[in-house]
Amino acid sequence: MPLFIAGLNHRSAPVGMREQLAVEDDKLRELIRDVHATGAVREAVVISTCNRVEVYAIADAPGEARTAVFRRLCQHRGVDPGAVEPLLYTHLDDEAVRHAFRVASSLDSMMVGEPQILGQVKDAFALAQACETVGPTLHTLFSQAFAVAKKVRTETDIARHAVSVSFAAVELARKIFAGLTGRAVLLVGAGKMSELAAKHLVDQGAFPIYVVNRTWSRAQEMARALAGTAVPWDELEAALGAVDIVVTSTGATAPVIRRDRVQQVMHGRRGRPLFFIDIAVPRDVEPDVQTLDDVYCYDIDDLKQVVDANLRERAREAQRAESLVEREVAKFSARLRDVEVVPTIVSLRQRLESIRRAELERALARVPDAAPATRDAMEALSSAIVNKILHAPITKLRESSRAGAGRSWTTLVQELFGLGRTP
Amino acid sequence: MLALLSNFTLIAYACATGLALAYLVQREEIVHRLASLATLAGWIAHSIALIALVVESGRPPLASLSQAVSTAVWVVVAVTLLVERQYRMPALGAFVMPVVLILSLKASAAKPATLEQLGIAFRGAWVWVHIALAMIGIAAFVLNFAGAVMYLLQERQLKAKRPGTFYYRLPDLQTLDRLTYRTLALGFPFLTTGLILGALWARTAWGGVLTFDPLATLSFLAWAVYALTLAGRAVAGLHGRRAAYFAVLGFGVLVLTLSAGFFLPGRHGS
Repeated sequence: MPLFIAGLNHRSAPVGMREQLAVEDDKLRELIRDVHATGAVREAVVISTCNRVEVYAIADAPGEARTAVFRRLCQHRGVDPGAVEPLLYTHLDDEAVRHAFRVASSLDSMMVGEPQILGQVKDAFALAQACETVGPTLHTLFSQAFAVAKKVRTETDIARHAVSVSFAAVELARKIFAGLTGRAVLLVGAGKMSELAAKHLVDQGAFPIYVVNRTWSRAQEMARALAGTAVPWDELEAALGAVDIVVTSTGATAPVIRRDRVQQVMHGRRGRPLFFIDIAVPRDVEPDVQTLDDVYCYDIDDLKQVVDANLRERAREAQRAESLVEREVAKFSARLRDVEVVPTIVSLRQRLESIRRAELERALARVPDAAPATRDAMEALSSAIVNKILHAPITKLRESSRAGAGRSWTTLVQELFGLGRTP
Repeated sequence: MLALLSNFTLIAYACATGLALAYLVQREEIVHRLASLATLAGWIAHSIALIALVVESGRPPLASLSQAVSTAVWVVVAVTLLVERQYRMPALGAFVMPVVLILSLKASAAKPATLEQLGIAFRGAWVWVHIALAMIGIAAFVLNFAGAVMYLLQERQLKAKRPGTFYYRLPDLQTLDRLTYRTLALGFPFLTTGLILGALWARTAWGGVLTFDPLATLSFLAWAVYALTLAGRAVAGLHGRRAAYFAVLGFGVLVLTLSAGFFLPGRHGS
């Protein structure tokens, strides 16, 4: 029963095309039911996000099924199918399993390791389930894909490190302070970016928040937005002594925080570290504050450098995730193939065994006074014959399943031995 | 039997050291698990060896410097395994196990002094208390040293603004500074009491506190370094990088002290 995935993603298709083909849930439901109703596919799940439109399906003729699905999708969206066709890729069997695992594990994402995709895949699966287009094979495939995604998340650090400047700043703070709960934050200047960084810090438990700005009304406005306190500009220095993290983003042309002042402030802090996140250009904090003990100062370039290091880290973890996925694909494919032939092997055995039993009983009934040794010999003889007959077809079934041709052989064996019908 | 167990312990600790260091670089979860497993295996063999020693000799496993150090190592390994798990500090092993390995190798390389050689010295219970307290102190200072080294590495990376292995693997600075402070505050009273008992008992046994013995002399130097650090931390606001330098210095003297005990002639054996 061939499993296939067909679709387009951020690598195969330009954003314009992806936009045009993206379908919202209602339409998706309609589409999936339509496609299923045509009988081109036995089972189907359709995933539609801003970076991919893919159909995961079981069909006897994948090529035809793919055309049917995307022709219908193009009709829905009013797109020329001829323009879409060259952008499509198709993955069959093992390739499809691998692709499903990689998508769910966020290895196929534009930003590798981004966490949203797993939720999107789960939603798509749930939607298909609601439409009753999910059968046993896709059910097994998706359950396993979710398990693999979870494994990737827990066993690798693929999504652990920040890939945005503001998150990188939070992460740095967490390497300086033992937890951010109750750490006081001072915002100097009221830019959008510093607001974002402050929000991340607040999410991690940072409190209280102070805002200093040359324009008093703007300071008050931002303080309100962050549930913080506005502080007059000339109390900046006093505020420095009271906080742990300082985010600066003023439009000043010269540094507003000088080394000698910070040095004074540090005297009263009894070793409590002070962390400057300077996202202003030109910089608001004199770079040589960094030479002071317990003072850490990262400007925008430093933060970008941290993000780059994190991205390299992610790429490295992605490599590990890939090999983990590879192992899971091998395991799963073997399982999937066994699932294909094992029931046939079992019923074949049962079939021949019941014939043997029936014939043996009849034969024994004809010689009621046979010696136990004779009975044993008859028993052994019948078993040996059955086993010898079974050997070839079972071996062939196993081999064919390993070669990926299990389906045609199971049909053949079922037909030949009349399996699935009452004897 | 005892030799076999000791050898197994050494090999397991050596494997654990290698794996723990590899974990810092590789960051494979499996490597960490193997390192923990090797550590645990070594520690169990170590435990059996110590029990066997106690049963065989009928005395606490502190009857010579090498035995005492071996017991201290045993404590350190147990605490490390606990702390790694409890405080989610998987990198700790990479900093403790090399020290554990070196101390174990030293302890096994030193000629075991017999009680008969030590003679009169081992009469009375106070000498056991002296050794036990000193060893608990040393165990705490091994962790103190590990904490300080981790602090220095993490601080360097944060100041250099180039995140590397240590940035990703080590805990935050405040936690590390706290670890260093707490182990110092814990180890110091033990070391102090241990040294006082040793001095008092030396006067009874040999008739003088300052009878020349390399280990005794150096141990007072180590004590002085730790005393200074603790005073600095408690009163003068010493912390962070500077305090970590002192911890490294103190541990250096401590290792020197033990080496003197192992390899120089003196009252502590060898």
